[in-house]
Amino acid sequence: MFKVQVEAIGNEQGSSKGVLLVVLLVSNMFLSKKGVTSLPICPSGSVGCQVSLGNLFDRAVKLSHYIHSLSSEMFNEFDERYAQGRGFITKAINGCHTSSLTTPEDKDQAQQIHHEDLLNLVLGVLRSWNDPLLHLVSEVQSIKEAPDTILWKAVEIEEQNKRLLEGMEKIVGQVHPGEIENEVYSRWSGLPSLQMADEDSRLFAFYSLLHCLRRDSHKIDNYLKLLKCRLIHDSNC
Amino acid sequence: MALRQLLLILALVCANDSLSTSEVILGRPQIVKCRSPEQETFSCHWTDKDFHNLTTPETVQLFYMRRNDEEWKECPDYVTAGENSCYFNTSYTSIWITYCVKLINKDEVLYEKCFSVDEIVQPDPPVGLNWTLLNTSLTGIHADIQVRWDPPPSADVQKGWITLEYELQYKDVNETKWRELEPMLTTVVPLYSLKLGRDYEIRVRSRQRASEKFGEFSEALYVSLSSISSVLCNEEIQFPWLLVIVFGTFGLIVVMFLILFSKHRRLKMLILPPVPAPKIKGIDPDLLKKGKLDEVNSILASHDSYKPQLYNDDSWVEFIELDIDDPDEKTDGLDTDRLLGDDHCKSHNCLGVKDDDSGRASCCEPDIPETDFSASDTCDGTSDIDQSKKISEKEEDLLCLDQKDNDESHASPADPSTQKPNTNIQSKPPFADSIESTSPPVRTQLSNQSSGANADFYAQVSDVTPAGSVVLSPGQTNKTRRTQCEAYTEPAIQCQPNFTMDNAYFCEADVKKCITATSHDAVEPHVQEQSFNEDVYFTTESLTTTAENPGTAAVEASNSEMPVPDYTSIHIVHSPQGLVLNATALPVPDKEFMISCGYMSTDQLNKIMP
Repeated sequence: MFKVQVEAIGNEQGSSKGVLLVVLLVSNMFLSKKGVTSLPICPSGSVGCQVSLGNLFDRAVKLSHYIHSLSSEMFNEFDERYAQGRGFITKAINGCHTSSLTTPEDKDQAQQIHHEDLLNLVLGVLRSWNDPLLHLVSEVQSIKEAPDTILWKAVEIEEQNKRLLEGMEKIVGQVHPGEIENEVYSRWSGLPSLQMADEDSRLFAFYSLLHCLRRDSHKIDNYLKLLKCRLIHDSNC
Repeated sequence: MALRQLLLILALVCANDSLSTSEVILGRPQIVKCRSPEQETFSCHWTDKDFHNLTTPETVQLFYMRRNDEEWKECPDYVTAGENSCYFNTSYTSIWITYCVKLINKDEVLYEKCFSVDEIVQPDPPVGLNWTLLNTSLTGIHADIQVRWDPPPSADVQKGWITLEYELQYKDVNETKWRELEPMLTTVVPLYSLKLGRDYEIRVRSRQRASEKFGEFSEALYVSLSSISSVLCNEEIQFPWLLVIVFGTFGLIVVMFLILFSKHRRLKMLILPPVPAPKIKGIDPDLLKKGKLDEVNSILASHDSYKPQLYNDDSWVEFIELDIDDPDEKTDGLDTDRLLGDDHCKSHNCLGVKDDDSGRASCCEPDIPETDFSASDTCDGTSDIDQSKKISEKEEDLLCLDQKDNDESHASPADPSTQKPNTNIQSKPPFADSIESTSPPVRTQLSNQSSGANADFYAQVSDVTPAGSVVLSPGQTNKTRRTQCEAYTEPAIQCQPNFTMDNAYFCEADVKKCITATSHDAVEPHVQEQSFNEDVYFTTESLTTTAENPGTAAVEASNSEMPVPDYTSIHIVHSPQGLVLNATALPVPDKEFMISCGYMSTDQLNKIMP
């Protein structure tokens, strides 16, 4: 499943990331596979079997953390390699495609929002990234001399994002059973910009996308930790 | 130039400063560092590295702009964060939003930087460091402690808004390098194997998980283990190498002396091995000591050990080996004994009689041990010495060659070796006429075998009748003969034919070579020569064969004619020098014998013999 390149990660951001990655990988294996022995998992389709919410949140948090670290590393690599001296950051002030989703911007707002709404928002963001990640995987290969680590990470993020989405849907199913009426998510229309002929413009498009990915993965990670502490540990992590 | 260099340096520094934010350095080099300790507020600090004196330092302003804003706003708080700083409280702080700040001095942009707050999170140092002693080792040298701390109060960990990761460092107060532990999520960690009697310093720092930058270190915690008195010893117990070495060497020396004194002789033997004394089989060294030279001589003669070197190379001599080790094998068919016992004395003058200078020249019979001789032959009234002499004579007459084999047989009187010749006799088919084989297969050895009948096995040609038959007499040794034997053995040796290891037989051709070679060298008187030849060509058939093969009637007849009861002689025809032992001399084709080199089956014999 995971092509764990702990070395690559370690070289970039120290061995601590590698350790975390391994932990996440292990935990992700539990989350993704159905029927993993060590943790109690309900076989798909079974009725009345529930993994505890705490376990679901644990796995979700671990997965979101993993995705965020991957995104962060990927962005840093890209920035180092392609974006130096181009002043991309100043241009990247413009938001991401998920900006249309009103998400809490600070702690106060996050504490005030209802957990169901927050869960829905998380789901929305995750869904919004399904499409971009898919295209990112296919388009990043067209970058000239793209290092393997970037390629591998793109694939990994795309895969884990799907799993996280599944997990979140399970959580939502437990926390708030019932149909979700509005499947809120943002459309992404950045594909043409990724396929532009102009090298600079194309690279900038990638830069923006990766920047947004890092930011949104951090958001999701934070929200999930917040929800976990609130719902599972009763605000006493 | 200096300015440009400074610019270059600063540009590099700024480039290294943050990966996520780009910094535009305009005008004077300034460095602006922004930091958020808890992801709720943030503050920016700038330093003035401009060498030139600022005319109005207060005019430096910081403006910021959020993503959606259209204009720059000035810093809301210049005070809270200290000098040259700008503090943004929670109302001004939005996470996951890009901020840009710029430093302006009188409309001159000194510095510009863009970032988002989640990227600049650097938590405060942990608080409340303390330690407790877990346990001490039994030796009192090491101890384990547990260090505990609290997260920084500013960070809202409880609600999960921020997740912190901690790194602990510790060192001995005397050391300079800090030791690190892996970043951990917990606020409790054990430290193992600290040395008692020393003091340590511990410090902790934290960072947001999945972030790179650590916050500041906490204040160092001072762990004093020297106050805990180590019961056993303060110093590390060192292995008493000196004592071990001293006592070890002492013990080794003692052991060595013990060995030396107890095994003195043995060691001496090992170091200076004695030169082995010469040893001859069958000869008791005591004999030499006692001075019984005659006996010794006889034995030696019988062993033919006088001429060991002469015959060493004669492989065919080896055929006559007596099997001393297997007494039981040969006891069965000791017909020779019977014959010797019964007939020998009757028909012959016993062994002790013949003293023929005439016919017997060469071959020496392997000696018959004295005891055997004396024990077996009742007719033999001679002394042991005489008998031995006769034996030696006989040996000489018959065979100078089969030394080695005889040696064995003679070595042990009344020994199982007697058995072997007997079997040898049996095993060998007698040579037919033309066999010029040397007589070693003659089984002169056989005579040695049976107890008391050793000498009987050897027959020597004592005389040649005009009829062409040979008069055989039991082997009699003679010193003279011995010498003769010696004389003649040499030429024989020269041949050194390659004979098979079948001790009884020699190929005709091989023998021929010897004979032809030696015949020319015969210098001795004709008699001797003749005798030599006789001896050379002489082959005897075993007694058993004679007993078993009635077909060889002629042979037996010849036997009856001859004074030698033991043997039936087979005349050999081939060379004019050969003796015709039988009246009916049968020319034996060489081929036959060539084919069955070394062996003549009784059938072959029968064919040959009339």
